[in-house]
Amino acid sequence: MTNLEKYNKAFIDAFTLEENKLAGLSYQSISTWDSVGHMSLMAILEESFDVMLETDDILDFSSYEKGKELLKKYDVEIQ
Amino acid sequence: MTLKSSKLLAGKNAVVTGCLKGIGRATLDMFALNGANVWACCQYEDAEFVLHIQELECKYGTEIIPVYFDLCDSNSIKAAIKTISSAKKPVDILVNIAGMTQDALFHMVAMEQIKKVFEVNFFSQMLLTQYITKLMLRNKKGSVINIASITGMDGNPGQLSYSASKAAMITATKTLSAELAPKGIRVNAVAPGVIKTEMTEGLPSETLSRLVGKSCLKQIGLPKEVAGVITFLASDMAGYITGQVIRIDGGIG
Repeated sequence: MTNLEKYNKAFIDAFTLEENKLAGLSYQSISTWDSVGHMSLMAILEESFDVMLETDDILDFSSYEKGKELLKKYDVEIQ
Repeated sequence: MTLKSSKLLAGKNAVVTGCLKGIGRATLDMFALNGANVWACCQYEDAEFVLHIQELECKYGTEIIPVYFDLCDSNSIKAAIKTISSAKKPVDILVNIAGMTQDALFHMVAMEQIKKVFEVNFFSQMLLTQYITKLMLRNKKGSVINIASITGMDGNPGQLSYSASKAAMITATKTLSAELAPKGIRVNAVAPGVIKTEMTEGLPSETLSRLVGKSCLKQIGLPKEVAGVITFLASDMAGYITGQVIRIDGGIG
């Protein structure tokens, strides 16, 4: 599984979404991406990519696109 | 108290802070007795402690991994968490025991002292809890037990920093329990009274007698008596208990 596939699967699993809804998705733009859903997403991403996200990055993780940018800090390239 | 044959924590993995002595050591012993594997967290390495761990492993057949970090150093906490998460084992239990006190009457306590006590007794524990409960979220289950104190509920002259930090821990316990319950994580606290540890050994005998005399049982508590309640709260037997603060004080409250 590529990093992009793992990244997309994290969103799909956390928010029960179709893959074609991911582009442009942002925090609280759908009912399932609330603060509780956000922490579920973070837990899945940490496990999928074997990283430990800093609290500041968890707070900055405001969208599907922003997440890709933040994960670069942890040497995870999503392409 | 007889828990020898119950193995309440068989197969569970626990992170316990403050394992070097007192209530932490007693909790480590009782967790091992009850079949838990433990990341035994301490501030520094100690030869006697390492030997003790080896004895526990031989005696009970559980795995005890020492983890050393300083609660005043967030980088050291993060490094410890990396050690724990790299083991790729689920974390079922977190017990926040490590703590400190710096007693002084209110007008003689420096703000820096208050900040240091809060740093160790509250902020660092919250940081550790943030990281560990994130690991628990992966499995949608877990039990967190915080060590508060009856001083955090009743107050105590000369213990402003300590009692206020423990009061913060009690409120955090109640708030966290509500936040994490939907994710299967229970959060409880125990509030010990006068327990026979290094903290109370330093008290003048008259003071100790006066404090013990306040309890209905008229005797000092033992670390293992606190560890017993912690073990119960950590176990599945306490599966319907969350957001509670249990006094272990011989009947002071």
